Amino acid sequence: MDEPRLNIALIGNPNCGKTTLFNRLTGLRQKTSNLPGTTVDQKRGIWKTQQHTYYLNDLPGIYSLYTHSEEEIMVVESLLGIENFQKPDILIYVMDASNLRRNLLLFSQVSELGIPAIAVLTMNDTAKRRGLAIDMAKLEGELGIKTCNVNPKTGEGYSALELNITEASISQTFPFQNHIEARLVDFFNHKEIKGLAAETLLRYKRIETVVQTSTTKALGLAKNLTHKLDKIFTHKLWGFLAFAAIMLTIFQGVFTLADYPMTWIENGFAILAQTLKVAMPNVFLSHLLIDGILPGLAGVLVFIPQIAILFFFISILEDSGYMVRASFITDNLMRKLGLNGRSVIPLIGGFACAIPSILATRSIKNRHERIATMFVIPLMSCSARLPVYVLLVAIAVPTNSHWGPFGLQSVVMTSAYFLGIILAAIISKAMYWFRKKEIEGEFILEMPAFQMPRIENVLKTVWYKSASFVQTAGKIILFISIVLWFLSSYGPGDSIESAKRQVTLALSKTTNITQEEKTAEIAKATLEASYAGQMGKFIEPAIEPLGYDWKTGIALISSFVAREVFVGTMNTLFPNNSGKDIKGIRSKMQSMKNPKTGKPLYGAAYALSLIVFYAFALQCVSTLAVMRRETGGWKWPILQFTLFGTIAYIASFITFNLANLFL
Amino acid sequence: MIKFAENSKSIILNASELHIGQNARITRLNDSAITHKLFEMGCVPGTKISLEFKSPAGDPIALDIDGYILGLRLSEAEIIQVEPEIG
Repeated sequence: MDEPRLNIALIGNPNCGKTTLFNRLTGLRQKTSNLPGTTVDQKRGIWKTQQHTYYLNDLPGIYSLYTHSEEEIMVVESLLGIENFQKPDILIYVMDASNLRRNLLLFSQVSELGIPAIAVLTMNDTAKRRGLAIDMAKLEGELGIKTCNVNPKTGEGYSALELNITEASISQTFPFQNHIEARLVDFFNHKEIKGLAAETLLRYKRIETVVQTSTTKALGLAKNLTHKLDKIFTHKLWGFLAFAAIMLTIFQGVFTLADYPMTWIENGFAILAQTLKVAMPNVFLSHLLIDGILPGLAGVLVFIPQIAILFFFISILEDSGYMVRASFITDNLMRKLGLNGRSVIPLIGGFACAIPSILATRSIKNRHERIATMFVIPLMSCSARLPVYVLLVAIAVPTNSHWGPFGLQSVVMTSAYFLGIILAAIISKAMYWFRKKEIEGEFILEMPAFQMPRIENVLKTVWYKSASFVQTAGKIILFISIVLWFLSSYGPGDSIESAKRQVTLALSKTTNITQEEKTAEIAKATLEASYAGQMGKFIEPAIEPLGYDWKTGIALISSFVAREVFVGTMNTLFPNNSGKDIKGIRSKMQSMKNPKTGKPLYGAAYALSLIVFYAFALQCVSTLAVMRRETGGWKWPILQFTLFGTIAYIASFITFNLANLFL
Repeated sequence: MIKFAENSKSIILNASELHIGQNARITRLNDSAITHKLFEMGCVPGTKISLEFKSPAGDPIALDIDGYILGLRLSEAEIIQVEPEIG
């Protein structure tokens, strides 16, 4: 294959079919990468035509070069060739034929940058349906560059495109004001640009002559399918029912579908660890690999099914055009909370897992609203909290007790979910008041026609989001997992060894004990004597007011890897015959008595207090890692961690004492 | 094509005051922080505009701007001054 010589960039308005064209031209020869230090994606691929091979860049869709959003500024920087960007050699200007006026505004700005270009018209079928007829020869004459029709979905017009690209030129007829580059530089340096509105209106005036010359308008067809669908999807009743059904499907999908591959990953790693344990010598490095690195890797990979499935659904919603409608019908409610219609899908995704949901907030353009959304997402009770709740609810509430027509267990469980939602509402509202003086968020959202989602686009998004998670947040998760493994497997001095010796000695006196029970007792002793065990004892005075003992402390610390680890740790600390079954741990825990008072050590007050703690506290290193990545620093994750932790502490304290008073 | 409603007899409304299905033409945009942004989205004087549908809460609303649908909050639509078409 010959080396590509020229850099071509695709530019155009959002929703003009640019990305579909990019995917079709480059096929699998493409790569999406994150621009260093930003959350902006850059898509680059190789386009092979009959004669030539080119580099093709897909720039994010923008409406105008005068912009303030991070993603859009990057487009301008790359067109100007500043900030480490290489100026493209050729531009392919993609325009929606059914909306020529607005699409030509950006063209009029870009045509003054002196980059050779060709123009491509998409959505010709839509234009025709609306009764628009475009005289291509006349349009080409007006634009002053090679222009052709292309249907990115069918590939129609590709041969003309391949031919035209070799004849890219700088328009001599279109530009009317040749100092846009200087004005853009001023604009980005926050200098006042005189007559910006007048400039834009003047451009539209020029555009109007182009449109008048090249297009004729006949009577279009009656309202199309999109219009009918919009009547349903934005209807007071049907709209919300459809929304609820779609959200339920997504939630259910992430919640249950992801369970299978997650189990495979966990089991696969368990088998691998078992095999290696047999094959490798009993030295520190083996333990590091088998008990530290492997579970850490599993801990990273285990998120991928959830990320992949959530983004599978989200990109279908995006690609089909429904996402914008969901934002449209929820904007009012979200705005009252200081958020945006765009916040609603990530927030609901938070009930499955905060990690992909935080990544999904990238579609929120306003930075304040995006940060507020990411900030409160971890308060949505995620799927990792469910097993913790199940165990604790079982301890707190007898199975057959009722509250009115409802089982009391499900009432408590539902309350745990609502606690998080209420706190999220309060915090996002508070954040809104804090930033009130700054820019008010805006809605201003194009609602593109509904279309069949293209599986190619969907799968590429899924792939990219998963890969990007592994590359970025994955490293931190792996690192912290290894640290936590070390803390729970090693102790100061020979504490672990002596603890093991004591247990073995004590057990040797009892006769009727199985090998399994013996292993369990040793595991318990090891954990208790480890650094994590020491830390549990160390933090005991701090968590005692909440009703927790040092064993709970160990479980709290170890569950930073993932909240459901709480159950596993409790299982280790309370060895029982029924494996990891929650009933086994529950009855074991419930049988424990406080030696001083003779009351149950782990009673209803204890369990309720812990439920509240888990509902609020940010007990998840992965979330912190992703927050750091997405906000570009530790400020927000640390603030989140401290604030939620403090609230969790106070709320649990109140819960424990109230429960002790009344129960 | 770009013309301003100078005919003093015509009624000028905010785009937020249109009723569903009502056709109008944009006459001018009031000054605000988002005026230029609205220009860029094609809301320029002379452009055909109609109210297509509203969200369940009545805010935001969806306007047809010369053939494409733009969702705007009421506070944003208020900036757009329109002259309803007669008949």
